[in-house]
Amino acid sequence: MEIYLPIAEQSMNVFILLGLGAAAGLLAGMFGVGGGFLATPLLIFVGIPPAVAVASQANQVIANSVSSLQVQWRRGNVDLRMGLVLLLGGMIGSSAGVSLFTYLKRIGQIDFVIAVLYVVMLSSIGLLMLAESLRTYLKRRRNPEGPRGKLHTHYLVHRLPLKLRFYKSKLYISALLPLGLGFLIGILSAILGVGGGFVLVPAMIYLLGMPTSVVIGTSNFQILFVAANVTFLQAVTNGTVDVVLALLLILGGVVGAPIGSRIAAKLPGVALRGLMSILVLAVAAELLTELLRTPSSIYSLGTREVLP
Amino acid sequence: MNCRRLALWVLLAALPAAFASPAFAQRVEPPPANLPPMGGPPDASVPPSVPTEPTTPELIVDLSLARVSITSAFQGESILMFGMFDPPGEIVVVVQGPAARETVMRKQRVLGLWLNTGRQSFDDVPAYYAIAASQPLQRLLARGAGGEILSLEDRLSTIKPATPRLSEELAKFRSGLVEVKRREGLYPAAIGQVTVQAGRLFRVDLPFPSRLPEGIYEVKAYLLRDGVIVAAVSRPLPVGKVGFSAQLAGWSVHDGPLYGLGAILMALIAGWLGGAIVRRL
Repeated sequence: MEIYLPIAEQSMNVFILLGLGAAAGLLAGMFGVGGGFLATPLLIFVGIPPAVAVASQANQVIANSVSSLQVQWRRGNVDLRMGLVLLLGGMIGSSAGVSLFTYLKRIGQIDFVIAVLYVVMLSSIGLLMLAESLRTYLKRRRNPEGPRGKLHTHYLVHRLPLKLRFYKSKLYISALLPLGLGFLIGILSAILGVGGGFVLVPAMIYLLGMPTSVVIGTSNFQILFVAANVTFLQAVTNGTVDVVLALLLILGGVVGAPIGSRIAAKLPGVALRGLMSILVLAVAAELLTELLRTPSSIYSLGTREVLP
Repeated sequence: MNCRRLALWVLLAALPAAFASPAFAQRVEPPPANLPPMGGPPDASVPPSVPTEPTTPELIVDLSLARVSITSAFQGESILMFGMFDPPGEIVVVVQGPAARETVMRKQRVLGLWLNTGRQSFDDVPAYYAIAASQPLQRLLARGAGGEILSLEDRLSTIKPATPRLSEELAKFRSGLVEVKRREGLYPAAIGQVTVQAGRLFRVDLPFPSRLPEGIYEVKAYLLRDGVIVAAVSRPLPVGKVGFSAQLAGWSVHDGPLYGLGAILMALIAGWLGGAIVRRL
């Protein structure tokens, strides 16, 4: 069954899009991060223009994070103060990101930049995850108990000015750090259409030193508002948000997410992360081949402009 | 009106024969030509079937659909143009989409990666261009050159580059433009086949792909005798989104902030409800 996407201006099979949403939801359920960083490249593979894929994916991220935030908020797992500082950075970053996106689109380089950023990001994340899960696997074989790491370490981050107390996270650190982190995630969100949870969550744990219990809720808080900002700005400046596409992805995700969490409950964590890293690397490799392969045609058309 | 109805009936009778013609079969896009129109009831705002300009009695034409409606199920459309002419003569049909500025981009390998390095804009580029004829076009036009009937190459030779460039380079970009448009089905490579029945009835299928720019298209039929145009009838063919997809696209273009807020609200509600339902299960 084909459906016409009014903004992408092409028809596409409904089940492909629902399936993509379900796959992203499955990943979200399995690994606890939004599936956006895999869904966007997959949308590009099936022929959605990258600019539309990114903007519509940002729209989908809103739905993803609100349904997760629902639970986390009720459990009191949101550090509001930290969330607001991250959000401030995120708002600035995502607004700058959309401007950058608009500029790149105008000079005809947006597709290239999206592909390159995805290759860099996915391959580094994939390799890190693969290394980490291999290390854990080997360590566990040698020492089933596993040594406990240091509870607290002091880095440069504790020497920066503008220190703030974050009671819920039991932290006393410089506000510049979450601000900067939020800014980077905002840019990522605007250009790649991802929530950025897969970067934000590890950064919050390892860089900021936040307790794991509040990380998911707080990151979802930030992601929700940043994704809303990106959606709004993309709709206003570029008109690339396809709500029909986003809705199909959301519907697919609603089905996929619970299946994913059920699978995750059955598989051991190491295997899960190993699996995920291979998947991420495969997508990165495919994107890289697209960039390296001689294209079937070296010509393409930019936006048609009807002159007054 | 009577004449047109008669033409339609005769034409319907002739349909099976026309379907059997291999040339015809080649021209048709996936769905068969006589599918019912997808776009709901005919629009009253569309010009009536009889052209407003004084009709040359030698040539009468009509279209099977008054407009191309891009609905949420749109997958391209095949429109039938049919009509009657006073023999002898040959028929040429030219379909032209609205003109606009198009930017052609060219990729080049840089450090092993393919990226856009060159760009060239052209003004007055037709969104769509197709020609159909009842005889090979060269033969029809060779004798007296049809005057205003332009092949795609001739039509594109008139497009103006927005910025100056070496003519050699311009020619490359121009052929790049044709290449992309061909791939999208907007500049059909082959000359379409106008089928003539009983020496005076003609029909031709005009294929439109799914990625079709909006605007008012012009379908023009010419009657040629000895390479000279003796009659011409032009019909506007509006192409536009209708229904839900039209509304959405309209909002997106004319009221971006409202569209953006709507998109956010949609995602919030869908995510909230989806989450609540899934947790119930």
